[in-house]
Amino acid sequence: MNNKEQNNVCKEEVFSALFSSHSKTVFNYIYYKYGNEEKAYDAVQEAFVKLWENCSKVAPPKAKSYVYTIANNLYLNVIKAEKVRFKHRDKVATTTNESPEFLMEENQFKEKLEAALDSLPENQRTTFLLNRIDGKKYKEIAEMEGVSVKAIEKRMHLALKSLREKIDGI
Amino acid sequence: MQENYLAKWLNNELTDTELAEFKKSDEYASYIKIKEASSNLEAPAFNIDAAWNEHKNRRIVEESKTIQLKPYKRFLQLAAAVAVLLVASYFYLGTLDQSISTQYAENKEVILPDTSEVLLNAESSVSYSEKNWDKERNISLEGEAYFKVAKGKRFTVATDNGTVAVLGTQFNVENRNNFFEVTCFEGLVRVTYNNKETKLTAGTSFLVIDGKEIAVNGPENTAPSWINKESSFNSIPLSYVFNEFQRQHNVTVETKNIDTKQLFTGTFSNTNINLALQSISVPTQIQYTLEGNKVVFYAKNAE
Repeated sequence: MNNKEQNNVCKEEVFSALFSSHSKTVFNYIYYKYGNEEKAYDAVQEAFVKLWENCSKVAPPKAKSYVYTIANNLYLNVIKAEKVRFKHRDKVATTTNESPEFLMEENQFKEKLEAALDSLPENQRTTFLLNRIDGKKYKEIAEMEGVSVKAIEKRMHLALKSLREKIDGI
Repeated sequence: MQENYLAKWLNNELTDTELAEFKKSDEYASYIKIKEASSNLEAPAFNIDAAWNEHKNRRIVEESKTIQLKPYKRFLQLAAAVAVLLVASYFYLGTLDQSISTQYAENKEVILPDTSEVLLNAESSVSYSEKNWDKERNISLEGEAYFKVAKGKRFTVATDNGTVAVLGTQFNVENRNNFFEVTCFEGLVRVTYNNKETKLTAGTSFLVIDGKEIAVNGPENTAPSWINKESSFNSIPLSYVFNEFQRQHNVTVETKNIDTKQLFTGTFSNTNINLALQSISVPTQIQYTLEGNKVVFYAKNAE
């Protein structure tokens, strides 16, 4: 009984912990899907306000997938995906001892990668980026998307394959 | 090579032989580049603290919304209840009897729906149903009233002592404690007292005091004396005279050493108290004092 109360989503500590560990991922998740920062931000707010309103009905272990489902359903069939843009972490910006040719090649590759990511189907792009950027395990992504791990592996495989084909210009 | 081997490779799940085979392929270099470049990608900035603050604000907005709705809902509930009550009381009051009453030293004239008139003497009240008046002309009376009944159906005056039924006439009914008097001035009045019916023709009276019928002479006038601001008595015990005196002049009457059963015949004014006091004291030879709202009658030889 007491244990149950302690884990109640309505409890401020439980709720804020959920917010800090998942809000960023919800934001990224929606951004990978639609390429719209503003919409992704709204989805975070919408999802967590809904979670708060229904905090007594959602068990803590379900809260995570509840939030992703709300965010995902918010724009389902409503908005079209826009161009997805990314920042690129400059890995060794301090030491610029690489040749200008190398740097140019590097930049060209980044552009190609972005274009290739943009042309991926939404579910492949989302799965790929959740894994590459957010470091989510296939199992976690499968839970978020509500599909099997095998389906996620398939998406990952296809995503990598078509990215390479696009970049290598096949 | 197993199914979805690219996904397995990213997850380091390939067997050594598979990995070796994959490394030999032409595409391997490209996949390595993609793997490295994609891990350096960054999603747009997201400020968790700012988002948390906004979430808090939204909560307040959502909560205040619900708070605003509640009193409105309550107001509606209340308004509905009041409306139901109002409608119900409107219909209920419609069925209730009309009631008119007078205080001490007050007379009132009531016009009934069929233009019959009722003149109410002091401290009296009548009540009747305005709704059913067309069906039955029933009126109940406490105290004393003079009726001028318009011609029509039977007109009934109900009192605790007895009922008076007429068709169209003018008559006076006085119904006080242990005192019941009906005087007919015009037409024919039927008085039912103790299941006994008495017919009164014009110019006759019917009197019951303390349950005893008393034969009295009819009135000399064409209307009861109180209509002309006087109170007339014909062999009436003094106690009833004093009671009437209290009602007409809005004073309290006390007696000392007086036999209030002795009969009084006479008239006193309902407007001039000094004149009225003399009208009582002179023929009965009773003394009186008047102080403020209090009159004391006392026997002359007791002094």
